[in-house]
Amino acid sequence: MNDVLAGRALTKRFGQTVALAGVDMAVRPGEAVAIMGPSGSGKSTLLHCLAGIMKPDSGEVRLEGTRIDDMGERRRSALRRSRFGFVFQFGQLLPELPADENVALPLMLGGVARAEAVRRGREWFAPLGLGGMEARRPGELSGGQAQRVAIARALVTRPAVVFADEPTGALDQTTGHDTMRLLVEATKHNGASLIVVTHDPGVAGWCDRTVEVRDGVLLTAGARA
Amino acid sequence: MNVGLAWRLLRGGGRRGMLGTWLTLGAVAVSTALLLFAVAVDFAFAARADRGAWRNPVAAGSRPAVAVEASRHDYVRGREITVVDLAALPGKSPEPPPGLSRFPAPGEVWLSPALAELAGRLPAAELAARYPKPAGVLGDEALVHPDELIVVAGRAPDAPELTAARSSDWIVGSQPVKVASLAGEPTEDAEGYQVLALIASVLMVVPLLVFGGAAARLTVARRDQRLAALRLVGATPGQVVAMTVAEAVIVAFAGALAGAVAYALAVPLLSRVEIDGGPWFVADLWPHPLVMVGAVVAVPLLTGLSAVAGLRRVVVSPLGVAKRETPPAMRWVRLLALVAVLVAVPVVSRGDSAGLIAVVIGLAFLSINLVGPWVVGLIGRIAAASARRPARLLAGRRLVDDPRSAWRTVSGVALTGFVAGFLGLLSPGTLIGTQDTGHLRVSAPAGQAATVAQGARDRLSKAGVAAAVTTRKDVVVIALKDATPLTDEDARRRAPDGLPTQTAPATLDRARTALAGLVPGRTPTTQADDEYFGGEILGDIAVGTVVVLSVSFLVAIASAGITAASSVLDRRQTYALLRLAGTPLEVLDRARRAETLIPLAVMGGGAILVGAFCGIPFMITDPNLTGLVTLVVCVAVGFAGVVGAGALSRPLLRSVTADPAPRPD
Repeated sequence: MNDVLAGRALTKRFGQTVALAGVDMAVRPGEAVAIMGPSGSGKSTLLHCLAGIMKPDSGEVRLEGTRIDDMGERRRSALRRSRFGFVFQFGQLLPELPADENVALPLMLGGVARAEAVRRGREWFAPLGLGGMEARRPGELSGGQAQRVAIARALVTRPAVVFADEPTGALDQTTGHDTMRLLVEATKHNGASLIVVTHDPGVAGWCDRTVEVRDGVLLTAGARA
Repeated sequence: MNVGLAWRLLRGGGRRGMLGTWLTLGAVAVSTALLLFAVAVDFAFAARADRGAWRNPVAAGSRPAVAVEASRHDYVRGREITVVDLAALPGKSPEPPPGLSRFPAPGEVWLSPALAELAGRLPAAELAARYPKPAGVLGDEALVHPDELIVVAGRAPDAPELTAARSSDWIVGSQPVKVASLAGEPTEDAEGYQVLALIASVLMVVPLLVFGGAAARLTVARRDQRLAALRLVGATPGQVVAMTVAEAVIVAFAGALAGAVAYALAVPLLSRVEIDGGPWFVADLWPHPLVMVGAVVAVPLLTGLSAVAGLRRVVVSPLGVAKRETPPAMRWVRLLALVAVLVAVPVVSRGDSAGLIAVVIGLAFLSINLVGPWVVGLIGRIAAASARRPARLLAGRRLVDDPRSAWRTVSGVALTGFVAGFLGLLSPGTLIGTQDTGHLRVSAPAGQAATVAQGARDRLSKAGVAAAVTTRKDVVVIALKDATPLTDEDARRRAPDGLPTQTAPATLDRARTALAGLVPGRTPTTQADDEYFGGEILGDIAVGTVVVLSVSFLVAIASAGITAASSVLDRRQTYALLRLAGTPLEVLDRARRAETLIPLAVMGGGAILVGAFCGIPFMITDPNLTGLVTLVVCVAVGFAGVVGAGALSRPLLRSVTADPAPRPD
């Protein structure tokens, strides 16, 4: 099987609300996929299930052929730390840490010595246009710069899949498009796959294909040239 | 309209919102209860001073005198009895003192309830025979405290007790004074206690105000996002502020009421704490209703004000995004203040006065408070620079980021640690309990020592008390024969004749009773009796210290708990996202713990050492082991309490990270 990540027949309910109703979705290595849909359609739930943040009520999720949805929280947590990267809308950077230590944090959590972690983290700054901002704290960065630091942090462990939940939601259009371009390019350059949840067609346009979720069901599986 | 919306927001806060509400409510309740205690203490001492005033006569001066009043102290079973001699002047009908239904007639005595009970319990030859013909029992209005031993003796105005000269020492008693009324005035002793109580109140109230602010922040911490959303939908800053105030005030008002009830329930327990010779009337510890109402109204208002201050950022920015920049490093000149005080202590302490001790405590307190945040920042820099693991790195960076906030968490314990270190060396334990009780001494009128000595021999012989009676100038010394020598070096050094002895309390009281009235207006006393007042003062300082330490620690512990909880709530989004990205809960928890523990250990320990250093020049005796152990236990319990209170926010951390905002989206 070529899929790096695959969800099969995923269902999830919140009380009476059906968030996912038997969704199948697979992502290939290096592929960028956008999940779109209106508010309440179940797109974030799908991302959370695929990323091992949330257990589906039924169905299964496999990473590189290994089932992950039946793992305990501790193992899923370790998996998220080492094999996945995350970029959120805002608020994911620790305000007390300078940018380079924010980027190095996942490596340190994985047991890499601090000096080495910071050195490897800093390697991401120049390619992402952040040269000279290593010692700045999140409060001293613009929204776009902070998102680029978050991208560096998501990629520093060289993950298999990067998940992005509305990564440009708090940015203006120009900055948002720049950020998406960097996110897609850096992820592909790193050999990782990318799954982006968005309601912005402009953001989805940066991905290889777009899937649409509505009422917990996957409607389309479009491909992009 | 705002209050209604605030009420709906409050009720609709969900489980996490309600947790924050309960924490705030609890914090305000503790704050209010302690505030009432701090205020009630002043009222209680004032009430005592007023009730005891009638025994401190004021000379009639230009007004017509109606009575003669004198007082002295007697002793039984190591306790002090206040003896008040009263006589109406010829042709005058003075108002009786408070607690007496009529002015005592010559020859009759009125006993306080505790003294009447003791006189009935002990053999008459040991107590009751000293005060024959009891005419009645004094009412509570005559008593400083319910266990007070007091006797009012009616005399004729020309009775020897009211004409013979007495000691001029106010500690021993007061000279006969012609008075225009028995209103009197508070004694210096009582006024001294009022001043000390006021100082203790200030020491307790200041941390309480800081604590109240922290509690308000907790309300804001869980509300800022929703209120930012209100700004986004068009609420004006004024409306946001009004809703915040309303919400904080509703919670704080409930907390204040709960605190008032908690205080009311604690009053019977508090009334048993013995200060200035005995426990308290419950009514004394009950603040005036206006004060009560004032506290229940003022605490919520202050909480509301703190909430407004905490909400400034939401009002300024609808997105609620706090701009965080690298904080400027604190200036090391703060350290100079502490160094200056430490250098000054040995120099100025040669003056050796109570006022100086107060100044030194005050300056050291201030300088520790000034240097605290600087040291916390420094510790943070060291911890961050040397960190090899993420938890320590996070803790260190947070300490550098906001040293004042970290200092607030531990400042209560650190400042209390200073007091503990200071008082540990001043512990008065060795001054009490080893005195001579085997010798009674009484001053005879000039030239009558031999006559008085013979009288003493006759009375003691008749009472069957074996004693050797000698004279030294005008002082008659009665050495009780069944007394055993004291070998304690300290007691020998302090005994007037260098041969201290101790006798059985029953023998001593039989001798006292036999000698009662031997020299009119004077009481035969032992060295232990003469040191009674000093011992009581030092004992009260020890009790007061434990009370202030307990309150400070309680505030520090509650404050640490609240600060830890609001810190988790403040960072809940970052924590949740970090957890979502695979950060182990243990790492976040360890960082949170280290953030408190590192400054607590350094600053708490440092403050104790500074306190001990400041206390060395004032050491009266060798450090008392029991006192030191008590204070060490107190500090250990306080430290453990702060750590425990911080640990209580672990479930909160688990709660905010366990559920990364699931939504059916």
